[in-house]
Amino acid sequence: MRQDERALEMTRQQHQTQYMMRTRFKRTGATSFVGHLDLMKIFERAARRAGLPLLYSQGYNPRPMLVFALPLSVGTDTTGDYVDIAMSVPVDPEEFTEKMAPELPEGLEIMSARSIGEPKKSIMSLVTAASYAFDAKDITRAALEVWKMESVEVEKKAKGGKIRTADIKPLMIKILETSTPDHLEMLVYAGSEKNLRPDVFLKALTVHASYPEDEASECAVTRTELYTGEYPDIVAIDVFEEIM
Amino acid sequence: MPHEEIKLSRKDLMSVESPGRYVGGEKNQIIKEEVLQQLRETGTCREVRTAFCFPDIYEIGMSNLALQILYKILNSVDYSSCERVFSPWVDMDKLMREKGIPLFSLETRSPLYEFDVIAFTLGYEMAFTNVLQMLDLGRVPLRSSDRKDDDPIVVAGGPVTFNIEPVADFFDAVFIGEGEEVDLEFTRKIKEYKDGGKKGRKELLKELSKIEGVYVPSLYEPQFIDGKFAGFKASDGCPEIIRKRIITDLDNVDYPTAPVVPNNSIIHDRAYLELFRGCIRGCRFCQAGYITRPVREKSRDVLCSQGIALERTTGYDELGMLSLSTSDYTDLGKLTDGLLTAFEGRHTSLSLPSLRIDNFALDLMEKASMTRKSGLTFAPEAGTQRLRDVINKNITEEDIFGALKLAFKGGWSTVKLYFMLGLPTETDEDVEGIAVLAKKIEDLYYDTFREMGVKPRRPEITVSTSMFIPKPFTAFQWEQQNAKEDFLRKQAMLFGLIKKSRNIRYIWHDVDTSCWEGVLARGDRRLCDVIEEGYRSGLYFDAWDDRFDYAKWTSILEGHGLSWEMFARGYDTEDHLPWENLDIGVTTKFLKLERERAYKEQTTPNCREKCAGCGASCFKTGVCYETR
Repeated sequence: MRQDERALEMTRQQHQTQYMMRTRFKRTGATSFVGHLDLMKIFERAARRAGLPLLYSQGYNPRPMLVFALPLSVGTDTTGDYVDIAMSVPVDPEEFTEKMAPELPEGLEIMSARSIGEPKKSIMSLVTAASYAFDAKDITRAALEVWKMESVEVEKKAKGGKIRTADIKPLMIKILETSTPDHLEMLVYAGSEKNLRPDVFLKALTVHASYPEDEASECAVTRTELYTGEYPDIVAIDVFEEIM
Repeated sequence: MPHEEIKLSRKDLMSVESPGRYVGGEKNQIIKEEVLQQLRETGTCREVRTAFCFPDIYEIGMSNLALQILYKILNSVDYSSCERVFSPWVDMDKLMREKGIPLFSLETRSPLYEFDVIAFTLGYEMAFTNVLQMLDLGRVPLRSSDRKDDDPIVVAGGPVTFNIEPVADFFDAVFIGEGEEVDLEFTRKIKEYKDGGKKGRKELLKELSKIEGVYVPSLYEPQFIDGKFAGFKASDGCPEIIRKRIITDLDNVDYPTAPVVPNNSIIHDRAYLELFRGCIRGCRFCQAGYITRPVREKSRDVLCSQGIALERTTGYDELGMLSLSTSDYTDLGKLTDGLLTAFEGRHTSLSLPSLRIDNFALDLMEKASMTRKSGLTFAPEAGTQRLRDVINKNITEEDIFGALKLAFKGGWSTVKLYFMLGLPTETDEDVEGIAVLAKKIEDLYYDTFREMGVKPRRPEITVSTSMFIPKPFTAFQWEQQNAKEDFLRKQAMLFGLIKKSRNIRYIWHDVDTSCWEGVLARGDRRLCDVIEEGYRSGLYFDAWDDRFDYAKWTSILEGHGLSWEMFARGYDTEDHLPWENLDIGVTTKFLKLERERAYKEQTTPNCREKCAGCGASCFKTGVCYETR
């Protein structure tokens, strides 16, 4: 279990009332170069500086509850990611956003927030798909080439250091944007069941479409949205909340 | 020259470990917009620009309080602007050299050579080579004598400057003592120099030497007779002796209550509250204790409001109390009560390092919600009472056992014990004493549980030894350092005595590192060439065990006709010492007296019990003037 999952599980067991703030955020620049745990700490400290009533798990080592929908890799920007932040009392989402804004470091921004009370399902288990934008020279051509293949075998390092190959074609859902040669948008499976990481996709381009490794490593990757539901019936996570 | 902004590509950043080190952008970072604007428009600016350099990686440098203090002060006045620069780790260093990227600041991403002042803070000698790495990568001439009028002024401060001679040639000026006031006086002089179009560097350095607490090494020529240091020849018009600077009133000096909060995890990820400077204890080996005298406390009210502000502005959930000996703060209980009340319901804990463990401390640790996992720490430093008297470490076995009994009853089962090997007058009996003490603690643990009629879990007792290194401005500054073979023999002996116990673990510091530190600590200016050659042959990040190469250093040292023995030897108390032109307030006469007392196994009472007349009262402040 991830650290954020564990904290959530604990409060459930302790029957604390959660007032969850579903927060949509974006990150660019400096904060894109920190890892998942550090990002969690950044949000936590910002909320503490903002004086927001964070809900803490009880027991020996109380932790605030911040649950990210899907961890972001170091170096990946986002324009559509989500974190659930548990409050101990109801907080007005507008007030939340206003208080957080000046406390976040450069590059992090809250786009919207919504009070969702106590979610029936954790945000992590909602995620089924993600869209990514790739900005790099001539990437569209390479992506289309790979897209046409029936299977796309990529070597992956499994647990214990063993190398095995996996077919990532079934993880690719759709190419969304191909109108410009240097900008590609793509929908892929994401979440705990099936997940295609953008770096693995880029690696596939170098292996199967002779895309230069130099370009691949210069490629700016931005996660643009996270979805829930079963494809093709998927909706963006914050839309999902609206329907509920 | 137009202003340059260094941009690292995504690929470059992604190819190194922890790229977050190199991007800045943290909460509370200070960028002076007006400076940036002038730079972009004209390539220069009116303000004095200081690059505050920490000669180690970001994660270590950002844990340093001096950096946060001076960063704030140098940004607090309109004529000055300060930015941060850290040593790039080996992977980034390599990348920068290959691609010709100069070392740059985190704030405006300016190359080092663009700054007016390059200021290093030096906390440990092993960082010397990283000073050269940073200057080199920043395209600044390494030696003061090679710098032209237009080149940056390179300065240093921090505890290591109490003997700066091994790296004196690389600095234009050195600050002795506490920096808050002198840094601004210095910056004002540089402002005049900059306004005048940067002409006459030599005259400037002479001017700088007139500021109290500023040492300009090039104006003091070291003399050598028969391969031994034989004093300095000061240039005309320079003070013969440079007295350290201290802050008289710590309540009224600027303190960073909104420090920069890093985005990525650092070594000490918490906010810091400095309780006082100096130490009343007078351990005879301890340089920090002597050079920071006299003890000056901050008032409880000031600390309380600073602590509350820190917690609010940083968002940290831990506030660390900083000083050389936390328990010696007057009214510690009231201070921590005040802070804990203010933090009620906010899930903020206090960390109280260097506490003397007693009933009060255990109670406090409980209240401050310091976890038991971290265990209790004692620093008896020596294994026998005799040797503890020699070093004036006023802690007895009864103190330790009394405190531990309470702690064991309270549920603690992890104990860490710190010792030094190679202290003056040490015999094998003293080394054995370390094992005996650890064994007694193990017995005490089981006895305590037997008395309580409870079945104990296993205790974890850790014995850690470091090597004694004679340091300048201590009662032991004239002592012979143990040779490598002695240290190794003593480590092996102790290991042999401890290894049979299941509950006692023995860990030790690297001997080679301590031997090299012994050379640097009391080294003189002849070492500048050695250090430069070492750096040029790829030796830097010496503070990192896996990077340190003692064999290579020794061979370079010997190549210059020098040896470990020349610096680590025992000195006659009448010998000239490379730090004799500095004055810390504490007199040489007092240090000699303390040395004699050490040999007689006599202890000296602490400053609050009875003034020992060390000389620090010349600063007219602090504990020396407290009513007792």
